[in-house]
Amino acid sequence: MSLARTLALATRIIRQILRDKRTLGLIFIVPLLIMTLLYLVLTNTSSVHTLAIVRPTGPGSDTINTLITDLLPGKDKLNTISIPANQVTTTLQNGNADAAIIFPPDFARQVLAGQNPVVQIELEGSDPAIASAMRDLTASFTRQLGLALSTLKAQQNQGGQAPITPATLAGPIPFTINEPHYLHGGPQYTFNDSIAPVFIGVFSFFFVFILTSVAFLRERSQGTIERVMVSPLTRPELVLGYICGFTLFALVQSVLILIFVVFVLQVHYSGNLALVFLVTALLTIGSVNLGIFLSTFAQNEFQIVQFIPLVFGVQVFLSGIFWPIAQLPGVLRPISYILPLTYANEALRDVMLKSADIGQIAGQLAGLLIFALVMVLLSSLTMRRQSA
Amino acid sequence: MAEATSDIREGQQPDRTASSPIVVISELDKQFGKLRAVNHLSMTINAGETFGLIGPNGSGKTTLIRMMVGLMRPTAGTIRIMGERVPSTRIAPHIGYMTQLSALYLDLTARENMQFFCNIYGLRGKQQKQRIDEMLERVDLADRANDIASKFSGGMKQRLSLATALVHHPSLALLDEPTVGVDPELRRTFWDYFAQMNREGITIIVSTHHLDEAARCTRLGLMRSGMLLAQDAPQELLRQSGKDSMENAFLYFATRQQEMSKEIHS
Repeated sequence: MSLARTLALATRIIRQILRDKRTLGLIFIVPLLIMTLLYLVLTNTSSVHTLAIVRPTGPGSDTINTLITDLLPGKDKLNTISIPANQVTTTLQNGNADAAIIFPPDFARQVLAGQNPVVQIELEGSDPAIASAMRDLTASFTRQLGLALSTLKAQQNQGGQAPITPATLAGPIPFTINEPHYLHGGPQYTFNDSIAPVFIGVFSFFFVFILTSVAFLRERSQGTIERVMVSPLTRPELVLGYICGFTLFALVQSVLILIFVVFVLQVHYSGNLALVFLVTALLTIGSVNLGIFLSTFAQNEFQIVQFIPLVFGVQVFLSGIFWPIAQLPGVLRPISYILPLTYANEALRDVMLKSADIGQIAGQLAGLLIFALVMVLLSSLTMRRQSA
Repeated sequence: MAEATSDIREGQQPDRTASSPIVVISELDKQFGKLRAVNHLSMTINAGETFGLIGPNGSGKTTLIRMMVGLMRPTAGTIRIMGERVPSTRIAPHIGYMTQLSALYLDLTARENMQFFCNIYGLRGKQQKQRIDEMLERVDLADRANDIASKFSGGMKQRLSLATALVHHPSLALLDEPTVGVDPELRRTFWDYFAQMNREGITIIVSTHHLDEAARCTRLGLMRSGMLLAQDAPQELLRQSGKDSMENAFLYFATRQQEMSKEIHS
């Protein structure tokens, strides 16, 4: 194994991609465009929805009700109505509201007593886009309310004298937010809480697969692969060179998507970048080798395109990008667990949303590693076949 | 293993020319299903010569060359290059291979194509630059060094392809129909390159179906239906056949072979 020869190949691939402006656009611009579109579709900011609030009524509720009113988005973004607790279902059923937040009557007392009251969110749920938007909105609203309340508590504990410091702000939210309940349908993944992270994996897998399979197909149709095979470059060096070249672009792409998601689309992110890279790199190794493997069954670029529905159609629906795997029909679930994106999606969500460490995603990393190894095996088998 | 012993015997047979053999092919067969592409073929190629594989399309020239460079495995028989039995990683650095197709990365410049092949053959730095400049100069592409290969004409691609095949200064260059689809003027230029390579000590095995190119080879192997009809210097083949042109000589040897095989069958 010669590092110099491997690098020579990686350098050549990087040069070829850098030269092709259209491919660069495909890698770096298209993901951002698609994410923006998805963001707009799923957060559905075009119309104003209605939120019903069951307000706390017990002693000390006035402060909290004022706080709620202050923290809710303005009338141009959200209609709010206040309803009694026994009318939640009818209000949602009649379409008078899209979602409801239910505070227990003695919410204020429980918060002050540190009893951790439960706040329940009800979603109407028949329109996934509205449900998803309302879910994001209520989640962000309750988070803000929680922060405001913990600040307030901290001030009261110190006799209202001490200035608010980051330390007092960082206190735990003094109530529990239950998993939202759906009147119709079930939880769809929303853009903010689940879709943004997985797209790092989806895009790198997709583009690396397309680019490798086309690059390898061209090596064969232009006859360069035979020259390379006659040269001292060995097959492991060839595969590794391809992996290095494409992994570089996949990593740059994931950084770009991450920056876009966090700073432009303002998605909450709290993960370890090194773990995101690790997941992307493992996924890319699998993807490069899948590309090499499948390219041997294609005679031209059009036949590569014909593989796309097979490789991606299945993964888009079954890897838990839009619908949780738990919601899939039982017969389909085993398929989900042979798809690399299933593991990548779970790992990326856990890392980026729940700040999971390497131990917590070990299972998913193992899944990705197994996929990568199987693909390396398949691609090296096809290369042996070519030289037979 | 039985073949290996016969290989050694073959290799030890004294050759007509004094120079040492660089390639020794012994009782080589290649079967594709029912088709016998190479049929019990034995030949010896001497160091420093230009050996021409002459024969019509489908006579097994490409199959033979692909087996020599290790891209295909023979069904039976052996090939030894520089004493090593093919396929061998030890001889890879010393072999140059040019295919019928101008095998180039069309999205890279002429120089970048050359750089890639230099790098995988371990030619680096100042030496690399010098060798690339020299080769581009030789195939008359020095002024197009930084142009993308896809913009080149067919002849230019073919010239660049030859330059990349020889950039690492191989001891043995296997050129598979390098002059196919090349205009007469460029064909002559190519044969001038080959002569120059010979003078630099590079052994050349070149296949062609242009019989007029035969005269420029040191020795020839005439091929038909996967069989070697004859191997010798061009003048010697003309003398043996008693013909005045290579075309007639080829037909003479082909007819003789057919009669011989008929005799065997009857």
